[in-house]
Amino acid sequence: MNKINRRHFIYSTALILSMPVAAHALWPLGEKKANATESDNIRGTIFKGDAPDKPGKWSHEALLYKKLDNNKVACGICPHRCLLSPGDRSVCRSKANIGGILYSLSYGNPCTVNVDPVEKKPLFHFKPQTKAFSVAAAGCNFRCLNCQNWEISQAKPGEVRHIELFPEDVVKAALKSGSELIACTYSEPVSYIEYMMDIARIAKEKGLSNLWISNGYINTKPLLELCRYIDGANVNLKSFSDEIYQKLNGGRLEPVLNTFKTMNEKGIHFEMTNLVVPGYVDDVEMVKRMCGWILTNLGPDHPLHFLRFFPQYKLDRLAPTPISTLENFRNIAMNEGIHYAYVGNVPNHEGMNTYCHNCKKLLIKRKGYFIPEYNLSENRCKFCNTVIPGVWGKNNNE
Amino acid sequence: MFNILKRKNESRVLLVVIATGISSVVTQLLTIREFLAQFQGNEFVIALILFSWLVQGGIGTFFSQFYIKRHLPSAKFLAFLSLIVAVLPALQILLIRQLRDVLFIHGSSVGFYPTFAFIFLTTAPYALLVGFVLPYSLFVLRAFQPDYPGTNIYIVDNLGDIAGGAFFSFFLVYFFSPLQSVFISNLFILVATFLLLINSGILRIKAITCVCIALVIPVYAVFLENKSLLPREGSLVYYKESKYGRIAVHQDKEQFTLIGDGVPLFSNQNISNAEESIHYPLSQILQPKHILIISAEGSIMKEVEKYHPESIDYIELDPEVSGALFRFGLLKKIPGLKVINQDGRSYLAHSDKIYDAIIVNLPEPETYQINRFYTDGFFDIARKHLSQNGVLSFSMQGYDSYLAEPQRQKISSVYNTLSNHFDKILLLPGEKVYFLASRFFLDADIPYLLDKKNIKTDYISNFYYGNLTEDRISHLKELIDRTAPVNTDNYPQLMRIMFAQWFSKFSTSPLAFILLLSIVSIIYLFYMKKEEFVLFSTGCMEMGTEILVIFAFQIYFGYIYIKIGLIITVFLAGLLPGAWAGNKTANQYSHFNRASLAITDGILIFLTVLLILIFLKGGDKIPLSVFLVYGFIVSMTCGFQFPTALKLMGDSNPSVTRLFSADLIGAAAGTLLISVAIIPYFGIVWAAIALIVLKLVSLILMRSYKA
Repeated sequence: MNKINRRHFIYSTALILSMPVAAHALWPLGEKKANATESDNIRGTIFKGDAPDKPGKWSHEALLYKKLDNNKVACGICPHRCLLSPGDRSVCRSKANIGGILYSLSYGNPCTVNVDPVEKKPLFHFKPQTKAFSVAAAGCNFRCLNCQNWEISQAKPGEVRHIELFPEDVVKAALKSGSELIACTYSEPVSYIEYMMDIARIAKEKGLSNLWISNGYINTKPLLELCRYIDGANVNLKSFSDEIYQKLNGGRLEPVLNTFKTMNEKGIHFEMTNLVVPGYVDDVEMVKRMCGWILTNLGPDHPLHFLRFFPQYKLDRLAPTPISTLENFRNIAMNEGIHYAYVGNVPNHEGMNTYCHNCKKLLIKRKGYFIPEYNLSENRCKFCNTVIPGVWGKNNNE
Repeated sequence: MFNILKRKNESRVLLVVIATGISSVVTQLLTIREFLAQFQGNEFVIALILFSWLVQGGIGTFFSQFYIKRHLPSAKFLAFLSLIVAVLPALQILLIRQLRDVLFIHGSSVGFYPTFAFIFLTTAPYALLVGFVLPYSLFVLRAFQPDYPGTNIYIVDNLGDIAGGAFFSFFLVYFFSPLQSVFISNLFILVATFLLLINSGILRIKAITCVCIALVIPVYAVFLENKSLLPREGSLVYYKESKYGRIAVHQDKEQFTLIGDGVPLFSNQNISNAEESIHYPLSQILQPKHILIISAEGSIMKEVEKYHPESIDYIELDPEVSGALFRFGLLKKIPGLKVINQDGRSYLAHSDKIYDAIIVNLPEPETYQINRFYTDGFFDIARKHLSQNGVLSFSMQGYDSYLAEPQRQKISSVYNTLSNHFDKILLLPGEKVYFLASRFFLDADIPYLLDKKNIKTDYISNFYYGNLTEDRISHLKELIDRTAPVNTDNYPQLMRIMFAQWFSKFSTSPLAFILLLSIVSIIYLFYMKKEEFVLFSTGCMEMGTEILVIFAFQIYFGYIYIKIGLIITVFLAGLLPGAWAGNKTANQYSHFNRASLAITDGILIFLTVLLILIFLKGGDKIPLSVFLVYGFIVSMTCGFQFPTALKLMGDSNPSVTRLFSADLIGAAAGTLLISVAIIPYFGIVWAAIALIVLKLVSLILMRSYKA
């Protein structure tokens, strides 16, 4: 019984010999890029039974939600369209169904407030050299593996330190700081849209401009509402692949593209940011397709920023993007017909400057957040009088 | 004739056991290195690997007793298993590399539970099998000689372990890549198996065929070494396995990135990091003449050169790292530069040189080795080596807009530790939080200071004022929690916070794991016999003390590879004479066995008390030989207990397997308990006290046994 007989021997030999074949079959030979076979959708899920027992001081009834049977509610703000039973919390962590009413939980309690140069957002065609009073509350409808602000975007409002600042207080503080702009930024403002809209409404009355720095993952109806108040935006176009959106961000591409179309139709000034993640987003053909789509659907005038990736958060085992990749993408975009393409996250790169799309002369020289040379007269090129797309205020360096 | 056959058979089986020991220890060390290169290199992951390995070994051992109830032990089956043992390590290494990107998103780090599951599953086939083979070898011998002593297997297995450990640490690691090492280390088991097969009556040609077939995979794997390490982005232009870890340089277009254990460490295009690291401290000093840099950032020498210092001592523990940095242009050779390949703390402790700036560029304190540069002890040494206006500078992971709680605690703990030694501390927020410490005033207006020195920068001059506003700087200082614990060498509280931050990053908690482990442990302890508990506590003591001794040695003498390798070796080596002596004593004075266990338990308690005294009095005056002798005696005492306990339990097959299992599972528990549970939360003194308590329980149990 315990002797190795001929059959055992043959079986064992076959097993051992088949191992290299199996190993070889499993080997990722020639496969360099992310592909469907290893797809992981990191989409967030709702938090069952995680809602507070009762609405708190910073709870505010949510906008655009539907009441359903059995006290369930359906959030209508973003494409996740969270269907929440009483006691559930949304994917973005900022909304909860409390007793059949959907509440925003971060109304008036931002977790971070800073004054930043507008160029930091980045916005290069919107009132250069102005200060943006930047506000963020916890929460995000994405799960980006490389999130720079994961400490607040991937946290629930109750889990972070916060400052009590209701919309009118935000505007007062912005005015006091000498800011001309209020930016909802850092985390995802879509997750606290009620707060953002109220801030923007009051700010507009006081003569301040409103900026929306976002992933653009929002439904058309709330976006149309938001467009009534915002003056400028920087929206991430994280990649031009639905698969990569699912894998690295936990979202989908189509709704983001719809956001761009809607904003374009509404005449909102916006700039696009494409973070070039090595191994995922650094695909020349994809960039060409992306530029083609932009030109067809949005036209050539919306600035496009190619940002350098650095290892962040969970995506910390990839090297930074080579600078020449960004330069190449910028050239591709401009050759395809996009008028303003920039290189970002590379100190003092020539690709940070603005050149007139008509006469090609230097309009704005940027050294970090400084502008040592400014050749626009109101919204026109000083050299050829061409109208330069953007919202141009008085240059503070003048 | 039968006796000759019996002896021949015995020697062949014992050869297999030794070869299995060599294979298992080399594979274990290579597996740890492989996981560190593929996953987070923190102390938790190291503990999880050892834990999984030992527990699975224990389970494999435990189940062997059930197998032989249904199947008679046979040398041929042992040979068949040994062939699998020889084949699996190469597959295991390749599987770890290959499955990483199949199961997890390429380029992303992985949280606690997925890491644990991955470790457990990928190491299971080999660890279970090795655990099974050890007692099975005994059963094969007992098929010929029913009274064959179980202790012999324990002794011979230890011999293999010592040989494997020394072979890897002092030879293979210097000259061979992982898959080459796997191939070489498993040749022994193939030879031993061949001899066993012939001895079992298999035709020589058949035996050769079997061994050759088993050779296919390790040989094939050697040719897959480089291919299995190719990056998805760019190309692999340099690859070296140094004794400290895996170093690779990837080239993506014009960018060279040095990857250390899978993590991008230095790039030739990271201007902002290089500028911050150098100009933040050096701008504060009127004329920096002597600079010490502990570990580098890409392109920093170019920035240092702007100050024209007389001497720059650049310390890099691993010569392969500094070599690669210069070779690929990530660092520039500048006048006055001296490269010192030594542990930074150890260098500083033994140097008389006074510096104007000490710039530390080490990673986050995720391991005890790195934690030594963020402690009270290190800051004290650094201060003593600074000139009157000298500056100490280092950084920790920063934040963009919000300082999360674990990180706030981490920064606060370091701040409080540093403030015990320096009057002035300047914190500069950003993607990294920079700590500057001095006896005199430190100015946060770095661009202004650089301007005064007429030093041009690309990043600081143009971005600093936008990124580091006065509000941001003062807000960070306001957030410092002055009640956060001071991080000391003996009580590395920072590690606890680092663990908390790791768990928070992945929104997980170790509670479920701890709970499950506690339930399983309670069930296991409940069904355990007293002798088993003695060995369980001994396994715990052996591993726990080894961790503590290495920990203490690193604090006092720095990370010196060869010496730490020696300590690990003596901890293995002591088991052998211990088991031999224990066997002799157990046979000759069998009526003293219970007393022997109690006495040896007492010795272990006494030795641990000695260790506590070393911790409390400071062990920096103690020579290495004392650490070696200490380790040898502890391990010898532990080794002594196995045959004694076995004799008490009756040396039957089930007894042997239960005791082997208890020893392995105890070692697993000791690893996890000491390195990730007790040291970071209670410090090393309490860790040693915990081991004493465990042994006291063992003593009490032995006493009640007597009663």
